[in-house]
Amino acid sequence: MSNEAKEVVKGENRKPVKTEFEGEKTVPGKYYIPRTDIVETEKSLVVCMDVPGAKRENINVMLENNVLEVDAKIDFLQYENLNPVYTEYNVGHYTRRFTVSNTIDAGKIDAKLTDGVLTLTLPKAPEAQPRKIQVG
Amino acid sequence: MLPYRTLETLLGLQEALDIARNAGFFESGTASSGVYPPVNIFEKNGDLVLVAELPGVKKNDLNIEVKENILRLSGVRTIDYGKDVSYHRIERNSSKFDRTLRLPFNIESGKVQAEYKDGLLVVSLPRAESDKPKKIAIQ
Repeated sequence: MSNEAKEVVKGENRKPVKTEFEGEKTVPGKYYIPRTDIVETEKSLVVCMDVPGAKRENINVMLENNVLEVDAKIDFLQYENLNPVYTEYNVGHYTRRFTVSNTIDAGKIDAKLTDGVLTLTLPKAPEAQPRKIQVG
Repeated sequence: MLPYRTLETLLGLQEALDIARNAGFFESGTASSGVYPPVNIFEKNGDLVLVAELPGVKKNDLNIEVKENILRLSGVRTIDYGKDVSYHRIERNSSKFDRTLRLPFNIESGKVQAEYKDGLLVVSLPRAESDKPKKIAIQ
């Protein structure tokens, strides 16, 4: 079978799709840096990251000393009894850290998970929101 | 002795060549930087299980077709933050994908099961009954 399966591989040399996290972690296993978009709206900062395979209950978002840390664990159990015959990407947990300015209203951070995308909404503190100043 | 600039130029050329070669332009694929989505294929009790990471793709935007030993995976991933936003960092992109894979044996297309959850697509592909190896009894 391996010969036939090889056919699928043809012409698909590529760089790794994911970037591995190089720091040390307390949990064994590979860690990857999730791809992340950060956009700013008038009222908040929106952070979107790809964490495919991570369940809601295995995602941890922490804010401490202006450092926002996201840690998403995937479930390796589903790969049990599966024998890989052809692989293009590796699987692992996700971790990423951001430094946020103190103009964020830390108490109102909102996190949502849809289709493997974690969306964090960090509302700006009222004093950091833009104000239009009337010219008298 | 080689002037420093010459070395730098050569290195730059080498890098440019490496980038061009790795970009997939000379490969037989259609995508410029490898194929999307990347898939992993597993074997389980003689059948195949395909797993692909498709974060941000809606279930309705995903199409799977199976015919004989060909599997086609297509869909769209739309990322829209609306107007009036400023971007600080963009690492994810919207994409339209269409990928065809040739599997090592025919698939019982009526029994294919696909599950999409938390951005992970799992397709189980049972081997067609007619394509299963037959055990031959020795007379």
